[in-house]
Parts: sequence; C-alpha cells; structure tokens
Amino acid sequence: MKKLGIIKKWVKEGSKVLFLGCGNGEIIKTLQLSNSIKGFGIDLDENKVCEAISNGLSVIQGDINYDLSDYPKKSFDYVIAHDIIQIMTKPDITIKQILELADKVIISFPNFAYTKIRLGILFTGRMPKTKILPYEWYDSPNIHLFTIKDFKDFCKKEKITIIDECYTGLNKKSISKIFFPNLFSEFAYFLLKK
Amino acid sequence: MDSISEKLNNSISEKLNQELNLEKSVGIVETKYFTFAIPPEEFVLSNGSKLGPVTIAYETYGNLNEDKSNAILIFHALSGDAHAAGYNNPDDKKPGWWDMMIGPGKPFDTNKYFVICSNIIGGCKGSTGPSSINPQTGKPYGITFPVITIKDMIIPQKKLLDYLGIKKLFCAAGGSMGGMQLLQWLVLYPEMSKGAMIIATSPNHTAQAIAFNSVGRFAIIQDPDWNNGNYYNGKRPDRGLSIARMIGHITYLSEESMHRKFGRKIITGKTSQTDIADFTKEFEVESYLQYQGESFIKRFDANSYLYITKAIDDFDITDGYENLADAFKNIKAKCFVISFTSDWLYPKEQSMKIVKALKVNGIETTYTNFESPYGHDSFLIEDERLKRLFAGFLKSLEEQP
Repeated sequence: MKKLGIIKKWVKEGSKVLFLGCGNGEIIKTLQLSNSIKGFGIDLDENKVCEAISNGLSVIQGDINYDLSDYPKKSFDYVIAHDIIQIMTKPDITIKQILELADKVIISFPNFAYTKIRLGILFTGRMPKTKILPYEWYDSPNIHLFTIKDFKDFCKKEKITIIDECYTGLNKKSISKIFFPNLFSEFAYFLLKK
Repeated sequence: MDSISEKLNNSISEKLNQELNLEKSVGIVETKYFTFAIPPEEFVLSNGSKLGPVTIAYETYGNLNEDKSNAILIFHALSGDAHAAGYNNPDDKKPGWWDMMIGPGKPFDTNKYFVICSNIIGGCKGSTGPSSINPQTGKPYGITFPVITIKDMIIPQKKLLDYLGIKKLFCAAGGSMGGMQLLQWLVLYPEMSKGAMIIATSPNHTAQAIAFNSVGRFAIIQDPDWNNGNYYNGKRPDRGLSIARMIGHITYLSEESMHRKFGRKIITGKTSQTDIADFTKEFEVESYLQYQGESFIKRFDANSYLYITKAIDDFDITDGYENLADAFKNIKAKCFVISFTSDWLYPKEQSMKIVKALKVNGIETTYTNFESPYGHDSFLIEDERLKRLFAGFLKSLEEQP
C-alpha cells in the first residue's frame, strides 16, 4: 500500500519540498504539519489545483512532462515523485530533471513484479488489476509500469545513488530489503541523489 | 461631533445600509483626490514631456493598521476607475466595479485589509487626463495631453502610497491592463509588495489584440465629431466611441458566453421579413452591443480611450531587458498568476510565459488556468470558486513571514 510514513521519515524538518502531481495538496498539508516543510506543488488538474490554492498552498497548474526545466537547479531540498513516475511520457527524462532540481529525490511507484500481479496475469491471462492498479488496460494512466529490478538497473546505468529504499506489501507493513522485495512488495520507495 | 448627531448619523447610515442590502458591502464611499507635481514641480513622463499639477482620484476601503502593513493596491483595467467597491451615492444602481471581491468577509476583506484603488492618469474619472483643464491654457488638454505609458500610470500611484505613508504593500492585484500595471509595478518596485495577483494579462499585446484596439481608435478618429480631439465644447464623438466599445466588448466575451446569452435570438417583433430593411437591430446580440456602446459614452471620454489603448498596445515589460526572466529578476513578491480558459484576448500562453519567467528566477509562484466560460471578463464575474481562490492566496500571504 501507499504510505506517507516512509516519506515523512526521510524528509528533514523545515526543508523546501516540491511535490510532483500534488493533486489538491493534501500531501503537502500533511507534511507541513508533520515535518514543517515549505511545500510547493505542480499538478495538471485545474479543479485540484484550485482546491489547493484555495487552501493557501503554492501550487502551479502545469504539465510535469514539460514544465520542470523552468526551475533553477537545486531550487529545492527534496523533490517528491509519489506514485507518478509511471504516468510520465518520458520517465527517464523526468527523473534526470528532478535530480537536478533538488539535493535529494524521493520516488515511489507500484512494483509490477509483485506476486499478486504475476499470479494475476498467469492465472487469468488478463491485464492484472489490484487495489493500487485498479484500471482497465484501455483507461490506465500508467503508461510506463516497471519493477523494482528495472528501477535499480536504471539507477545503476544512470549512476544515481540510492541512499535508502523501503517497501510495503500486503499488510501495509514495511518489508525488509533482503526479503525478495521485487516479489513480495506492492509499493516501493527510493531516496536518491545524483 | 456631539453624541446626538453621531447617533443620528449612525442610524441614518444603518438605514441606508439596510436599504441597499449592504451587509457585505463597504457601504457609502467617498472618492478622494491627491495632487502632486504642483508648479514649480513637474511630473516627467516616460517620453520626457512634463505634466503638472497631476491629480489622482482614489478610494480606500477598510482601515490602515498601525504598522501600515495591511494595504492592498488594486490596479484597474481599461474602462475601470477608482470606484472599485461600495456606492458613491445611496441611489447608485450599481456598486463599484470589483465589489464582489472587496468588502467585509469578501476575498479582499475590508475587516482585515486596507484596500486602495486609484484612477490612472490619462483617465476621465477624476484623475488628470485629456479632458482635464490645462492650467496653462485654461482649456481641456485634448490631444495636447502627453502620450502616456503604463509606467506613467503607476508612478503616480506610488506617490499616492508615499503620501499615505505606506512603505510596503501586503498585496497588489490587477486584471487585464491592471495586470500590466502590476507587472510594471513589480519590475519598478520589486521589493514593495509581499504578494501579487497577476490576473488575465500579458507581458505585451499580441498583434491580434493591437489590431482590435486599433480598429477602436480608428472608429473614434474617423468620427467627424472627434475634431482632432477638440470636442469638449461641442458635439462629442459618441458614434466613434460607442463603436470602439462595441468592438472591445466582443473581445472581452467568449463565443460560448455569447452563444449562451444570445444564441441567434431575434428581438421580439422584429424579423427580416419586414418591408423596410433594418440593418441595425435584429439579433439580440446586436441590441446588446449597441446598449454597451451607448452606456459607455455616458461614462467615458473618447480621448482617454485613445490614450489608454495606445499605452496598452505600446506596453512591453521586456523593454530594456534581455527577456522576461531578466525583467523579473529582482521581484521579491510571492506571485499568483491566473488566466481563464475561455479568454482568447489574453490566452493562457501569455500567463504561462509570466509563470515561466517567475519560476526561472526562483520566485514563489502559484498559477491556474481557471475554468470559466465568460472570456476575458471572467475576473469581473461573480464566481464562488474564484473568490475562494483569491481568499486562499491572500491567506497564504498572511502565513508568509
């Protein structure tokens, strides 16, 4: 399951944070309260952005695929891409861009190699559906699904340092790094730096 | 004032407020005047010409707090004026032009903020403009009035703030030409505002926007009654000015809002099958536009229209800078940029250019392309969502150190 606890643990108090796909800003509010961060957000949805601004948050209605290059380098302490990288048009470019924008980057994503997904496709012969990935094949926003192993390969290739990693599985509890996360974790969190 | 007359006065104003249903209104307001550049002093304009004395009409709503930190400056658009909220007279039919935003409990909450709005120079609503008397000749300036720029409009407003003793604004806000004034304000006085609300505006006019203004100006100067701007003692160029307004008004609406409002509806009793051809009023939209034109000539001066539209067309905030980002480099305000989905006169791309240039400079920026069917005029149309947005941004400024 998607949990904010891990993100809260990683983000230092009082830091400047950019949230990609912040929606109505609930995630910013949560971290403002827990970690007294100075939060900023970007989201494509007018309705959600208006809600966020009405709640007094600094949010820009924009397209992450195109608008990240406008920020000066190292504008933030953290950029958080929570459950969003898989919907980017060019995830590799987005990841490289956010690593320029902040000292540290948090990327979280649903692990497509999760047992339940593997079994789903094996036994039903259809695109797997889970609580986290509830979509039909034709209406899914997730155009670039990947696995923990894929992501680690990518980090290695791009020389991205993994500072910390964390996984959650069926019962929402964190799973140990050594316990075959690619098989048993539904959702993965990575703390990265360039 | 003794206590009896004070009570009486209070009960009168109470009654007035009740009659006008003013519980959320600033009530009856008085337009005030501020004069500077009194000879031998002069106000030197961007093009080097000199003007003086210069009078600025302004209104204020709410109370200035002790440390003078709660002031909000509102910049008006082309046809606006200092009367932004409340009523000047108890029998006024309409309140000020942004009454929906300014008042107790409204986004520009007069219980908390001291809101200032002044008429631009070149205007015709109390500030020095082409219809004012030139003290040197004893006659109206007409087209001897110097050419003005957006920058020339804001410097007098800075002088007004100096006069009021305000060193830093809590916020400055402006839509359309008001937004241009605000951009110019931020560039010229980058540290003077804590927040800025840049609404439905552009760093400069597109060729299309210039074209529309140009047709409006042509309509005025082609009107024989314009008489080279010398019409104050005779017939006024009403035809030209009303046509200019009609053209302008089309650009402020959207195809959708016009369709919703008028469609192809024909005025009752009028069809094209009558014996005598009538080319003036058949469709409701025609009659509406003519009404807009006719009511505009009662409140606006043709020469002011020429001067102001020219200033808008000439405006380019990047003048003297490498680019937009360079122009914005010193801005210290937290900025809120807003465009409207149906605004084709100042489309979202213009606002997004502003947002990009602010972001490049690391300026805290908020932006939305607000969903609204009302075209460029959306920011003047009552909308609860829009109000919440404004209130939210102002709230975030309060939380800012």
